[in-house]
Amino acid sequence: MKTIIGFEIHEHIATSTKLYCDSPTDYRDAAPNTNVCEVCTGMPGSKPHPMNQEAIDAAVEIALMLNCEIVKDPIYVQRKHYDYPDLPSGYQRTSLPIGKEGSLGGIGIWEVHLEEDPGKYEPKSGKVDFNRSGIPLVEIVTAPDLTNPEDARRFLRELVKVLQYTGKVKTEGGTMRTDTNISLEGGARVEIKNINSVKGAYKALKFEITRQKNMHKRGHAVKRETRAFVEAQMITKAMRTKEEADDYRYIPDPDIPPLLINDSKIAEIKAGMPETPQMKEKRFASEYGIKSGDAGVLASELELANAFEEVAKEVESDHAARWMVRDLKRVLEYNSLTFKDSSITTEQLVELFNMIDAHEITVKTGQKVIEMLVERPHNPREIVSELGLGKITEDNVVEEAAREAIEENQKAVDDYLSGNDGALNYVVGQVMGKTKGRADPATVLKTLKEMISRSSQ
Amino acid sequence: MQGSDSAVERVSKYLEVVKKDNPNINAVIDIDETGVLDAAAEVDKQADAGSLSGMVFTIKSNINVHGLRATCASETLKNYTAGYDAAVIRRLRDAGALILGTANMDEFASGSSGETSCFGPTKNPAVLDRIPGGSSSGSAASVAAGFCDASLGSDTGGSIRNPASHCGVSAIKPTYGHVSRYGLIDLAMSLDQIGPIARDTKTLANILDVIAGQDSKDATSIKKGDVNYSKNLNADISGLTVGVAQEFQELTDPKILDMINSKIELLEELGAEIKSVKLPHMAEALPTYYLTVFVEFFSATRKFDGRRYGKRIEEVCGREVLRRIEIGRYISQKEFSGRYYKKALQFRSLIKKELLNALNDVDVIAGPTVPKLPHRLGENIDDPLTMYAYDVLTVPANLAGIPAGVTPAGKVGGVPVGLQIQGKPLGEQAILNAMHAIETAQEAGR
Repeated sequence: MKTIIGFEIHEHIATSTKLYCDSPTDYRDAAPNTNVCEVCTGMPGSKPHPMNQEAIDAAVEIALMLNCEIVKDPIYVQRKHYDYPDLPSGYQRTSLPIGKEGSLGGIGIWEVHLEEDPGKYEPKSGKVDFNRSGIPLVEIVTAPDLTNPEDARRFLRELVKVLQYTGKVKTEGGTMRTDTNISLEGGARVEIKNINSVKGAYKALKFEITRQKNMHKRGHAVKRETRAFVEAQMITKAMRTKEEADDYRYIPDPDIPPLLINDSKIAEIKAGMPETPQMKEKRFASEYGIKSGDAGVLASELELANAFEEVAKEVESDHAARWMVRDLKRVLEYNSLTFKDSSITTEQLVELFNMIDAHEITVKTGQKVIEMLVERPHNPREIVSELGLGKITEDNVVEEAAREAIEENQKAVDDYLSGNDGALNYVVGQVMGKTKGRADPATVLKTLKEMISRSSQ
Repeated sequence: MQGSDSAVERVSKYLEVVKKDNPNINAVIDIDETGVLDAAAEVDKQADAGSLSGMVFTIKSNINVHGLRATCASETLKNYTAGYDAAVIRRLRDAGALILGTANMDEFASGSSGETSCFGPTKNPAVLDRIPGGSSSGSAASVAAGFCDASLGSDTGGSIRNPASHCGVSAIKPTYGHVSRYGLIDLAMSLDQIGPIARDTKTLANILDVIAGQDSKDATSIKKGDVNYSKNLNADISGLTVGVAQEFQELTDPKILDMINSKIELLEELGAEIKSVKLPHMAEALPTYYLTVFVEFFSATRKFDGRRYGKRIEEVCGREVLRRIEIGRYISQKEFSGRYYKKALQFRSLIKKELLNALNDVDVIAGPTVPKLPHRLGENIDDPLTMYAYDVLTVPANLAGIPAGVTPAGKVGGVPVGLQIQGKPLGEQAILNAMHAIETAQEAGR
């Protein structure tokens, strides 16, 4: 059954002050109704200050990152009227499109625009907190180009990556809010609200497809309606049918002159804006000759990607990519860190990778050092010497450990001698253990073979 | 400094008059006796308290004055105390002005008679049995009655000029955006403008010097270099070109028109050159204005939903306010999109263009302010269209965003009549000079 899915994604823009006033945008940690003023609480007579330029620039950058055309005609801010306790003036200020006709990974982006967030209403207590009221939001509306929940999830992940790349959105979790429209062949379009995460979007779509298919099976028509996603139960619930839909009575806000975005502003923003993660991934694969999967991992975080490019100037790129994707990323994920939030520097990585490359330390030691870098802002060389992790170069130490291992594992040695080559790997492992990973595995293997062949002669 | 009296002495004298006469005139809603006396004492202590030092004001009750009620003369906001100062109030205070109290008005500035206030109608101090005009009824009346030196009103379609004309005082509605609206409770955001009312032009110029200029808190406020209207005030108007529009004249009561024309002749005698200008679309100004007001006012009143200010506006407001809200709600529906508000915006730009074109050829346009004399108090006018017709000569300036002043021209049957002088955008100086010329000549007995 043909399925059509589209999204409207809202994300807070990370400005320090609100869209139309100087109140701070911190609404999470502040006590209710403390980061407010007469503007964002809509007190009689208050007027919007001129629109926050930082927020406008961020919206333009996001639109450009999504390959949109920037609208150069005057962009009006409209009043969208509706009656709800969280809306202090009885209308929400929402701009007409700033960017239009973009795309991300083959999915069309219809428009990008700016709006203000309402306050937060708790129906149970009847209380409203206006700390959030007036925080700038960017809204991204996609074309209904998605056809299944898996692609939808992949798209949202890519979108989040792009937004994080700009550095202009709030990155702490849970600020993304999504509405999705879904229709199955033969049924009307259903809108689902209250989705707060990529996972939520996926679950909501999965549930909705099953629900709509079942209705079709039972011969019920799917009517045009708005439903709410209930995260705790991973289901959607009917909110209202389209017939009861609000008339928002849009008018251009007379308090706000239309925005004008000129070519020089667009050029200025373009000059300072990062490559998209998708473009970066492609470039990394072709420019550095690394695997496209590795390129994707490196491009998943802007700071990690930048670090890779720095490191690749000093270290063979394939070597750097392998270490950063396999080991650095593993350690970061284990510690729930982004590269940006870790204290690891490119200088440290270059030094470490060079030591590995020059066989000054073993692979095992290299991995151990990366784990330690997360906690210790020291040079890898210092860590290695401080902890005595330098590669064992004295033959007698390796020989001594090899002798012990042979004695203790006579059965494995016998197996090896009777033609089971794999049995020797076990003995190598024992030697590595005895030397705490500091011995070069190739040297160990060579030493073992020599000693075993000597003793069996 | 206002004369040789101390600020406290001046305030005390005004307080005495207000207490005696306000129960009859009903121009002032709240008197802030303690506040104004404290402020006056403070001003007396300072050597240089600012250019308006000791000047006593009333403030229309739709402008936020921290600590006083901003009622809009409506049950809706009867108990709303302003939590902040409007930008103009801050500027007044910084210049040493003293705020004696809040002025009565038509409810939510929706009227031209001063009769729709929930605090009762205001009387015209110049003709006690007649309406003072509106909606800045209390502002004009408090100046005319000698309760204060000056008042701030707001003008959306004539609300400063209309009562100034009826009460025989001077006033100016500045260019849209020249005075910050921050803190002015909305009637129609794209038309509203705060302006001063006083007994002479010099005082208007002094006040304008203080309150005009860009404000970072009002996105629609505009930039202008140095503002020094009082220093540049000049009664010599030789060379000034004054436009006269036939279309304004045709709409006006002949007796009023005679009086106005005699003042235009006076301008000519004083050295101005009179030119005729054409404004063919003035007949559309009134419907254009009201459609705009209905839609913007509907939007502006959505915040009075009963959740924060006690009462839901539709449940407690008067008939005219309700009429405007309901028409606004009706015509802003999606199904009419483009039929009313957008059409009004289109006509508005046409009217604006026409006025600006006419002002390309002349410095100012002079004519009547209100086409008829104020009706008698209690003579109920039920037909809104009759009421709206009071505004026909004043709304074009708001639609075009241009400044317009009013100066007393004389009396018709004992009722004051004001001469309206409209000017180019940011052309306040030419208007004030023309007003000053008339005033000076009249003082000299001409």
